[in-house]
Amino acid sequence: MSLTPGEYFLQGNEACVEAALVSGLNFFAGYPITPSTEIAEGLARRLPEVGGAFLQMEDEIACVSAIIGASWGGVKSMTATSGPGLSLMQEAIGYAAMSETPMVIANVMRGGPSTGQPTRASQGDVMATKWGSHGDYQVIAFAPASVQEMFDLTIKAFNYAEKYRVPTFVLSDAEIGHMRGLLNVPSNIKIVNRKEKGVRRTDEAYDVPDDLVPPFPTFGKGNKAAVTGMTHGPDSRIEPEDPKIHQELVSRLNDKITKNRRDINKWDLLCPDSKHMIISYGSASFGAREVAAEDDRIGLLRLKTIWPLPEEPIREAASKAEHILVCEMNMGQLYHDIKRVALEAGCKKIELLPKIGGEPPTPGEVRHKLREMGAI
Amino acid sequence: MEVFDFYRKDRWPHVFCPGCGNGTVMNCFYRAFNELGWNLDNTVFVSGIGCSSRIPLYINADALHTTHGRAVAFASGLKLARPELDIVVFTGDGDLGAIGGNHFINGCRRNIDMDVICINNNIYGMTGGQASITTPHDFQSTTTPYGNREYPFDLAEIAVAAGANYVARWTTRHVHELTKSIKIALEKKGFNLIEVVSQCPTNFGRRNKMGDASIMLEWFKENSVRREKARSAAVDHVDLNLAGQVTIGEFVNRDRECYQERIGVEKHGEKH
Amino acid sequence: MKPVVDLKYCKGCNICIYMCPKKCYSKGVDISPRGYFAAVVSEPQNCYNHKREGKLICELCVLSCPDQAISWHPEGEETK
Ligand SMILES: Cc1ncc(C[n+]2csc(CCOP(=O)(O)OP(=O)(O)O)c2C)c(N)n1
Ligand code: SF4
Ligand code: SF4
Ligand code: SF4
Ligand SMILES: [Mg+2]
Repeated sequence: MSLTPGEYFLQGNEACVEAALVSGLNFFAGYPITPSTEIAEGLARRLPEVGGAFLQMEDEIACVSAIIGASWGGVKSMTATSGPGLSLMQEAIGYAAMSETPMVIANVMRGGPSTGQPTRASQGDVMATKWGSHGDYQVIAFAPASVQEMFDLTIKAFNYAEKYRVPTFVLSDAEIGHMRGLLNVPSNIKIVNRKEKGVRRTDEAYDVPDDLVPPFPTFGKGNKAAVTGMTHGPDSRIEPEDPKIHQELVSRLNDKITKNRRDINKWDLLCPDSKHMIISYGSASFGAREVAAEDDRIGLLRLKTIWPLPEEPIREAASKAEHILVCEMNMGQLYHDIKRVALEAGCKKIELLPKIGGEPPTPGEVRHKLREMGAI
Repeated sequence: MEVFDFYRKDRWPHVFCPGCGNGTVMNCFYRAFNELGWNLDNTVFVSGIGCSSRIPLYINADALHTTHGRAVAFASGLKLARPELDIVVFTGDGDLGAIGGNHFINGCRRNIDMDVICINNNIYGMTGGQASITTPHDFQSTTTPYGNREYPFDLAEIAVAAGANYVARWTTRHVHELTKSIKIALEKKGFNLIEVVSQCPTNFGRRNKMGDASIMLEWFKENSVRREKARSAAVDHVDLNLAGQVTIGEFVNRDRECYQERIGVEKHGEKH
Repeated sequence: MKPVVDLKYCKGCNICIYMCPKKCYSKGVDISPRGYFAAVVSEPQNCYNHKREGKLICELCVLSCPDQAISWHPEGEETK
């Protein structure tokens, strides 16, 4: 049985496991990798209890392949990994985007490149998550910053994966995955189920226009679905040579996400009208949160959705702020995109506090940087 | 079920070259499927990338045409999610044995219920005739212009060693035997491999003095040896040209419990 | 029954000619609408299934034809 409403004290990765079960996860395929392994281990134990299946695959390519296969069977499916695994998954992620397969990938980030720092936190996979597979496509990614958010945003990830038929990521890191904290499981959790072909729904979750997210032709129901990663027309016939069909398909795959940013983007604001804004996400925001809580000159825009980038709140903050400081646990990945949006909105000074090595930037480091910028 | 109830007639004629063995394998599959009276709505056809992997898109059923080499992994997830569906994988020598080799051997080991039809044309057909893991020693391909220096894999023997429940190999010259083996595989639980040595006249035959499909079929006939009569141990009759022959026949027929039975998600009792 | 080659599908690979033990087929001399020398059923009376009803035998041609171009028709049926 999935968690009943109430208070729990759990590890971040455990919260992810429980959220997946609450969301209706039925199939998980995994390959062990620090610091995500607890998710696979947890689901190996928990999934059979709820009538689902767990499969340990031979590598991460197989993991994504298997969860895509399961998803076409009509069930909610998921895998979990960290950097090196994400690299292996990329081809299949592109396939999921092209075939519009709902699925969730929990990436508990560690320091890269390569094997890097298996046990230390990082946000080095932010760009790889969005751009890692070839071609033009979109994904959805959430960045939890607490055990509670690991739970809440994992549920959101499942819901949005279903709603938009798109691979969706929970991008946490070793810090969040391994921290223990209080989890409050509410009683009214909203779960979105797939809009299946042939099944009419009035569910408000499906206010996306039908032509952007076609209903899902689940296998084994007489749909005769022909699913392919090749360029295909609406009738699923492969048309690899036709420029127009390719343009229409790939544009729609992108539009269904970018045109629905308002629905997908989630964020948190502290001191919204501040002249000195910090923009951060995930565990990189820990130090900034402390600074903003103590100093009311400093505002914080904490992104919970990072893909598609929440341009609206960034624009809003940038239109009022003199300084923007982006805190990330990498050498500057989301920074460049945030800077683009902030510059367009008229903010002139957008700086970066990049932190690599495995620890989130401390409040002291954030203050130091703000002082350097002349913000405080 | 008539032929064109089974296939998507609006997609005919198919893209395969004149004389390509893929169409022959399709005939045998259709015949076996039809004789068993199976239902297309309960079967999903999964494949990777390659000429052979295009086959599911022509069948009037659910099809999952995936990435190169990963069909068995996709099929594994699908089967565990929907144990009541029958899964058939169409794949090629490159798809199954090269890029998908790891999924292949682990698929055999796990013994998840699926029937894998591997069309082994000894070449990468779709990409224009590069050597594959089954290209016979010394043979020509675009990437072995001085003859293949390597030795081929024996997919059937690998499947036996890796734990598949049923393994048979035939050639496109053995249509009746092939049809019979497909029937056996369809009716059997667990991971079943049918390897079909097949002709790619365009990209294998032409470069090896066998540009005509019939010449290749004659070559299969001349070089095929029944497994019972094969010269000696497996290592000696690996593949075309290692010992100058293709070993054909049933390689194994056993009843290892399949994975979904062991983990208890087997929801369907009897198979049809 | 007699085998009939469908000109819409035949790609002139001549596999039927090679496979048929009774030499019922021969090479085409005319170019089909699809641009192939489609095979011709020149000696249908040699076929094992000549005048046979119900379950057919042999069928090496039908099972082998890679283009699903050969089908069975009653002897009397007009086919072109
Ligand atoms: C990851 C990846 N690498 C390479 C390719 C290019 N590719 C397409 S088909 C193919 C070979 C297919 O060979 P095989 O599986 O034997 O099928 P055949 O065409 O011979 O039936 C290759 C290498 C690809 N599609 N994806
Ligand atoms: S290239 Fe070879 S395998 Fe591909 S369709 Fe042509 S003959 Fe068949
Ligand atoms: S059934 Fe046999 S004998 Fe008759 S035409 Fe076909 S191959 Fe020839
Ligand atoms: S085997 Fe089929 S495609 Fe080939 S020549 Fe004969 S009828 Fe035509
Ligand atoms: Mg091949």
